[in-house]
Amino acid sequence: MSLQTPRVLPAHLHAFHPSSSGPRSAHTVRLLGTVTALRGDTATITCGNNGDVTLILKPDSHLQMGKLVEVIGKVTDLENGQGVGLRLLGSTDWGNPADCDYKIYENLVNVTHRFKTIFYDSNE
Amino acid sequence: MPGEMNSPAGGKNDYNNATLRPITIKQALDAIQPYPEAPYQIDSAEAVSITFVGQVRNISSQSTNVTYKIDDGTGEIEAKQWIDSMAGDSMDTDDPNASKPPGKNQIELNGYARVFGKLKSFGNKRFVGAHCVRPVTDINEVNYHLLEAAAVHLFFTRGPPGEKSEGEGGNVKSGLAGDGKGGADASMGGTDEASRGLPAMSPIARRVYNLLRTEPQSNEGLHAQLIAAKLSLPMPDVARAGDELLTAGVIFSTVDEQTWAILEF
Repeated sequence: MSLQTPRVLPAHLHAFHPSSSGPRSAHTVRLLGTVTALRGDTATITCGNNGDVTLILKPDSHLQMGKLVEVIGKVTDLENGQGVGLRLLGSTDWGNPADCDYKIYENLVNVTHRFKTIFYDSNE
Repeated sequence: MPGEMNSPAGGKNDYNNATLRPITIKQALDAIQPYPEAPYQIDSAEAVSITFVGQVRNISSQSTNVTYKIDDGTGEIEAKQWIDSMAGDSMDTDDPNASKPPGKNQIELNGYARVFGKLKSFGNKRFVGAHCVRPVTDINEVNYHLLEAAAVHLFFTRGPPGEKSEGEGGNVKSGLAGDGKGGADASMGGTDEASRGLPAMSPIARRVYNLLRTEPQSNEGLHAQLIAAKLSLPMPDVARAGDELLTAGVIFSTVDEQTWAILEF
């Protein structure tokens, strides 16, 4: 089986944390957001009106401030107890956030989890 | 007569072959073949021509074909595009550049692409024979495609959207439904106001019901053989649909067990 990367919103991250109950196959998720802060080895993306997520960057990741990005990463604990973040594995630049209707993405996340059979295996 | 909603979809037996179905890669991997060499089925409907959107994870160019490994977050599959040196790819949206392999123009590694093709298998390996691979530059297309795949999946598993489920799944017909009636989408099998308040049923049962509803008939109703011929469906399917409708209490048998009429109430 190939690796699946469920599309999520910040509120769902805890469900994909390695420590969460159930032997989920995937701790690797996809998120869509706008880069709102860059701090050397970490960055923050803002996911519409759904909150922020902190990313732990790779040396070769190059995010640009203010761009819409789709990121793939592993859900992980942040240092000094700042909650849950994402260790970045890959990112795709989608340019200007104004070109994206974020509502469509919110509905998509909803649909992918409601009609799971055509999107993701459930290993629970 | 309320209208002949059924005719376009009820035409030929192979009308599905011409249908381009939006799917996820997981659906492509889960598609079943009822018997070897048979056309692939997804949600019990033939899905020969398919389209999906995903990220290109690998591009391997050979002398006769280009193979793209595509990942859409639900799975991974290879799309193989044969290089036709004679003709430019007519489905390509860009000017075909004779010096380059078709479709390879702007396909980038880790970029998004939309693939149109047919599900195939070689040995135990499933792949897609791609007619056309083109880059996707708008994130909305990615999100929209996955929603469309979900809407089509629901169409095949739960039948056309009725009155109550209207708007759910962002279906194609919501734009037509201004007057509150089912905006009949004839090309997808047809639904009309007659479907109002019907219990959930399979798409075939719904087609049988709609035919009974719209076909001119005596008060004896229609015989199952005639329904099978009109809808170009095999008899067992019609019999099963009939059973379903009889159980649901929306039709009743008249002169014999195989002749049905709509139960009006």
